[in-house]
Amino acid sequence: MKRTFDTGNAAITEAAIWAGCRLFAGYPITPATEIAENMSRLLPQVGGYYLQAEDETASFHICNGAAMGGMKAMTATSGPGFILYADPFGWAVSSEIPVVVVNSQRVGPVSGITGAPGQGEFYLSRYLTHGGNYETIVLAPASVQEAYRLTVRAFYLAERFRTPVTVLADQMVTDGWETLLLPETAEDERELGLERVERAVHPGPDFYPSTDAIDIPPVVLGHNTGGACSDWTPTERGHDTEEVEWQHRHAWRLIHKIRSNRALIDEAEEWFVDDAEMILVSYGTPSRVVKSAVLAARERGLKVGGIRLVSLWPFQDHLFTRTAAYLTVELNWDGQLVREVQRAAPDGSRTHFFGKCGELPSVAELLETVGKILRNEPLARSGWEREAW
Amino acid sequence: MDRLAEKYFRPEKYPGTACRGCGLRLAHRKVLEAADELGLETEDVVWGTGIGCSGRQTFATWKGDTFAGTHGQVYCLATGLRLALPPEKRIIITAGDGDAFTIGFNHLLNAARRNVDMTVIICDNLGYQSTGGQYGLTTPGGARTDSSPYGMWEPNWTEDGFDVLRILKEAGATFLARHTVLDGQAPVESIQKALLNRGFSLVQLVYPCVTHFGVHSLGTRNLAEVYDWFRKRYGAGADGLATGIIHDASGSRPEFGARLRSYTERAGKGDAA
Ligand code: SF4
Repeated sequence: MKRTFDTGNAAITEAAIWAGCRLFAGYPITPATEIAENMSRLLPQVGGYYLQAEDETASFHICNGAAMGGMKAMTATSGPGFILYADPFGWAVSSEIPVVVVNSQRVGPVSGITGAPGQGEFYLSRYLTHGGNYETIVLAPASVQEAYRLTVRAFYLAERFRTPVTVLADQMVTDGWETLLLPETAEDERELGLERVERAVHPGPDFYPSTDAIDIPPVVLGHNTGGACSDWTPTERGHDTEEVEWQHRHAWRLIHKIRSNRALIDEAEEWFVDDAEMILVSYGTPSRVVKSAVLAARERGLKVGGIRLVSLWPFQDHLFTRTAAYLTVELNWDGQLVREVQRAAPDGSRTHFFGKCGELPSVAELLETVGKILRNEPLARSGWEREAW
Repeated sequence: MDRLAEKYFRPEKYPGTACRGCGLRLAHRKVLEAADELGLETEDVVWGTGIGCSGRQTFATWKGDTFAGTHGQVYCLATGLRLALPPEKRIIITAGDGDAFTIGFNHLLNAARRNVDMTVIICDNLGYQSTGGQYGLTTPGGARTDSSPYGMWEPNWTEDGFDVLRILKEAGATFLARHTVLDGQAPVESIQKALLNRGFSLVQLVYPCVTHFGVHSLGTRNLAEVYDWFRKRYGAGADGLATGIIHDASGSRPEFGARLRSYTERAGKGDAA
């Protein structure tokens, strides 16, 4: 195992290359620029291509084109670029072409604050493209080491599900410096929980079977299999059709190949949930403060637990079976995760939201809010950041 | 089915979905003739398409591998694909004037700048016809369309001293030609030259749309009248557009994929560019 001290941006780059990424196309944007810079330095050393595109749409579509030709590809951006991915992301979803997408979230809306962490793209990461009729896979790292593991995992899931997979990080993960372990042996790989799948080529002639099965290779062009790959609703051969019956088969496959195999995707951490009267819910960097707050609350004898979502979409409703008071802790002022938790929590539960943006909450702030909720006291709201939902 | 259609078209996609009398079929046909005369087989070409009539109507007709991009994005897909394909595979793209010269123009210019090896055939039907007939940036001045009911008033890319191909030349394209689909063998010869150029080539093929341009701008759907107007305006001797080979600098600039491969090789050894 190689032990280094590095950023999340470096971890993501190393992981992508380890997973077999040989093309990166991107457009510089804080705080994801370093991924592009690292890629420009490292990819040529493994015979891979770095391309700086004319804009974000082009970046992603260049990745789509390379992936359609059989290469593993990745792009990385922040919120203002992520929204521009809407078109090519949809193309990859519908054409069932694997690509890995990294979004390092910063403070919004729009350009907002470049160098401060936010969590404003929770829903955008679910509904990045238009037209609906799809399901998507989103993973959320909370540390530099996890950014490494989840980037590798994103490539793995992208191949098996032939779909774009999003790594939804935040500025603290990508800019933060921490110890990073890199695998050197097969045993290291097992220990770090890393898996790779090679790109396989679909032999045709049917490229889009009407099934939710996974591990069906994507269409790869250039092998003269008669592969047809497009944004149109495809028949089984990939031809465009206006027939609703084919559209239904297509949408059914896009949705259920992911939902029916979600056991491969679902990942979460739980702390003291079994007897908790109150459960804090979070993802990404804030979950590290939340974990400390949960431990501190337990030390004070409070029945407080925590859930950290590692995979965000498909949303893990099954984690919310306990009737309790829920508090989501998020890096935004408007409350996004809280809406899903409110929907998933059983009847009789209460749902609250703690928002902070651009900086992490403190353990003391969280404990104060937890105490008030447990004592049924009204929350001392400052602005919108703490409220009964 | 004729010989070329049998050789290159998917039987279920022939004769295609273009309107009766549409000049698009002639444009498509010119490309097949050029491919055939060069001895290209289905496995030698990956065929991409854009949006609009030419995109939709030519997608997946090629028997070999084929792809389609969203509005104006097919040039980016082709740029990525170029790196994954063996250099000897040809990429042909059939796209419309709106796709290439308007919504995708930035990407088209960048593909030209990089000299990405692809042959872009612009099937120019003088506006946005698949959406019902709105003006585009090659619609003749004064033409009435659904969105220029009092006549096309915007400066466009092919009149009043503008020439979109000149912009592409400045951007670095290495082969540029323009024809109408009624120009007989000349477009076929240009497309062959375009296919032989290892770099960014573009051939603009102007063709008559009978259903929308004919009805809205010319006031007739009558094939003979539409084609007659078209011949008078764009045919040999007419001063509508400069036709023929506009720029031939085949092989004069390094091709994108070759350039990036050689950069990568040198950089991998630690050599500076
Ligand atoms: S609308 Fe016009 S350009 Fe389109 S297929 Fe019909 S005739 Fe051709």
